[in-house]
Amino acid sequence: MNNIKLVGVGGLAASRTPGESIKTFALGSCVAVIMLHPPTRTVGMVHVALPDSAVARGNVGDRPGYFADTGIPVLLKEMAALGCSSPGNKGMIVKLAGGAKVMDPNNVFNVGKRNILAIRKILWSLGMGPVAEDVEGSISRTVTVAVDTGQVTIASPGKKDWQI
Amino acid sequence: MKHKIDRNEIVAAVRRVPLISTSASRLLQIANHNGHSLADIVTIVKCDAALTIHILKVVNSAALSRGREIHSLDRAIAIMGEEMVMGIAMSDAAEQLFQADLDGYAANRGDLWRHDLRTAIAAKRIAPFAKVKVNHDLAFTSGLLHDLGKAIISDFLKGTTEEIVTAIEAGQFEDYPAAEREELGVDHCDIGFELATYWGLPEPLLSVIRHHHHPLAAAEPYRPLVYVVHLGDIVAMMTGSGTGADAMRCNIDPAYGDYVNLAKDDLARIIFEAETEFTALISSLSGEGEQKP
Repeated sequence: MNNIKLVGVGGLAASRTPGESIKTFALGSCVAVIMLHPPTRTVGMVHVALPDSAVARGNVGDRPGYFADTGIPVLLKEMAALGCSSPGNKGMIVKLAGGAKVMDPNNVFNVGKRNILAIRKILWSLGMGPVAEDVEGSISRTVTVAVDTGQVTIASPGKKDWQI
Repeated sequence: MKHKIDRNEIVAAVRRVPLISTSASRLLQIANHNGHSLADIVTIVKCDAALTIHILKVVNSAALSRGREIHSLDRAIAIMGEEMVMGIAMSDAAEQLFQADLDGYAANRGDLWRHDLRTAIAAKRIAPFAKVKVNHDLAFTSGLLHDLGKAIISDFLKGTTEEIVTAIEAGQFEDYPAAEREELGVDHCDIGFELATYWGLPEPLLSVIRHHHHPLAAAEPYRPLVYVVHLGDIVAMMTGSGTGADAMRCNIDPAYGDYVNLAKDDLARIIFEAETEFTALISSLSGEGEQKP
């Protein structure tokens, strides 16, 4: 049986172990940022819950992945530790999933949208941009990325699985 | 129109649910009153041997004991705080419901408990932002119990998940409860209300259970509390503690701004702090980690 690394809310993981997958459950307004580095067959994922770590007042504790601004750099470090760093993050493929929408005319509960925008902005500042996204909508998503194939699979109760 | 299930069959299923214990019922009654003390809680718990044993077991778990063995119930309850005691009491009282399989929602066993606990924590943290004072202990307890109707109607919804999800995505229903009403003639709020009435729960809890998806329909005195739990429910779904197919398929009532004064940063802080509390509480109560198997 293939090994699965589970990523909780605000967690992150990277792997280049053949046969291994990384999985996170039930993304609501949270966003999974998935990184793939084909030359080294390395994959990574961070489960971002909020756009900005300012809310933690400098104390993100053991959950740097909880925030877009702290999670993405830490995931890149994890990937680099597995040997896939390159100038300007060249060769890194990024995909996004999650960020479900709450229709709030008061613009308070639209956390999914704010997460997506913050993540894109940080990726651009690091010379990267998502090549595929499955975001927004009123849907909960469970996301898996496989080391062997780099395939990103999304599951949601009541729907057939799909790939991005 | 004729629904696929007779409402009386579902109501009969409610009557088959065991009554909650006297101690759980008394705890719910005092949660409904401001000004109660931890001593009031100790008095009730002392009369329930099984609950006392469970509380002492949890307080002596690795997460809470810090190497000291605690034998006194007073001390245990002081360390745990009211929310954890209430969580244990309710999980014991309605264990069969909280741990139901929820096949009708394509959810996993334990998802309802995790959802309700996260809703309870979020509601307690939202309560101080209500424009009219809302008792935060009552907000917590209401959050714990708001969705119990799902444990009963889940059996009647088996096999409908794909059909309902497709219909919602085609715009045929405004939200998941509307699809439940189309399938069964009732939704989980109606059946939760039946159960809560059968159990003799206090009026504010009845109101939350019945109206948490449409808080404006609640009677004015209870409306602020119902809005607080409504928002707690949304926060739980947003942060990954849904109950399967209905997660994120419910609408926020935009009139919440008339009852709760919440800004973006307040919400972000609530989400982050609730995460830490949820992880600690669920670990202490059940010894499980945050992630699903």
